[in-house]
Amino acid sequence: MMFPTLDPLLHSELRLAVMSLLVSAEEAEFPYIKEQTGATAGNLSVQIDKLSAAGYIEVEKTFKGKKPCTLCRITPKGLKAFEEYVESLKSYLVR
Amino acid sequence: MEENSNMTAERSLAIITEQIEKNRHAVSKTLGQSLYISGLCIMATSVLVAIINFLAMSAGWVGFGHLLWFLLPVVIWQLSRRYIKERAHTPTSLVGELVAKTWQTFGIFAIGFFVIAIVCTAILIPQMTVAEYSVVQIRVAPIVVLLMGMAIAMSGQILNQRWLVWFGAVAGLLCFVLEHFEVGAWLLTKCVAIEPYEASVLLSTLPCITIFVFGFVGLLLPGMMLKKQSA
Repeated sequence: MMFPTLDPLLHSELRLAVMSLLVSAEEAEFPYIKEQTGATAGNLSVQIDKLSAAGYIEVEKTFKGKKPCTLCRITPKGLKAFEEYVESLKSYLVR
Repeated sequence: MEENSNMTAERSLAIITEQIEKNRHAVSKTLGQSLYISGLCIMATSVLVAIINFLAMSAGWVGFGHLLWFLLPVVIWQLSRRYIKERAHTPTSLVGELVAKTWQTFGIFAIGFFVIAIVCTAILIPQMTVAEYSVVQIRVAPIVVLLMGMAIAMSGQILNQRWLVWFGAVAGLLCFVLEHFEVGAWLLTKCVAIEPYEASVLLSTLPCITIFVFGFVGLLLPGMMLKKQSA
């Protein structure tokens, strides 16, 4: 039986965690994602940049009062990739 | 969490489930805090309303304290906003949106019903005898506790917290029965002889006791449990 290849961009613990968080949220702030994933700010920034470069998420730099605020939200392309990733996972799990 | 690309399918699934569950917990915690704040405010307001009603009665202002209920949504809203500002912003999610919309709907119905009841009472009182009025009067407290119990139960359904559904249903229905059938007043008249003046004081104070009980059972207690569970 042939197994579908898993999207290498999503098949990484931290990137998958970020995408899973964003799937169930319309948008999330950087500190919230950091708190929920337990990642370091530097590592998280790098992974968010990779997801953003692939067009899976949108990153918006804004202000909350006087403080800078980074908002992340999943794109339709990211949602489709996530759905396909979950579909592929299923075939591995029902072996 | 590290940058690890050598995961099994089971590990991937576990990460997805864990993150979705964490998101649900974050929403539950915010709701828990809001219920806790609402419970405290409702309990404090019911005590204040009872005291004001008692004091205002001697000046001929029957039920004057009930106007304080209009301030309640503003106080709860301000306190909840302050809490949300202090902590890391909970993301807008479908679950959070549904819970928020449930409470917004409750607010619209409760305030609308309150206004209708006040307008109707103002129109009916000058035109009717006491006996007629006692039949057609609109009693706000039983309907509002029933609506609030329903909002709590619906929040429980959305958050998949079966116990919260039970808390909402039991608190709402129990307080509705207590208030609608005036169980407290009936029990008191059975136990002690009450003068007409004392009876009128009781009539304007008993809803406060029911709402106080509801604030504790339906809001404060589940709020504390949700906060503890999601900590």
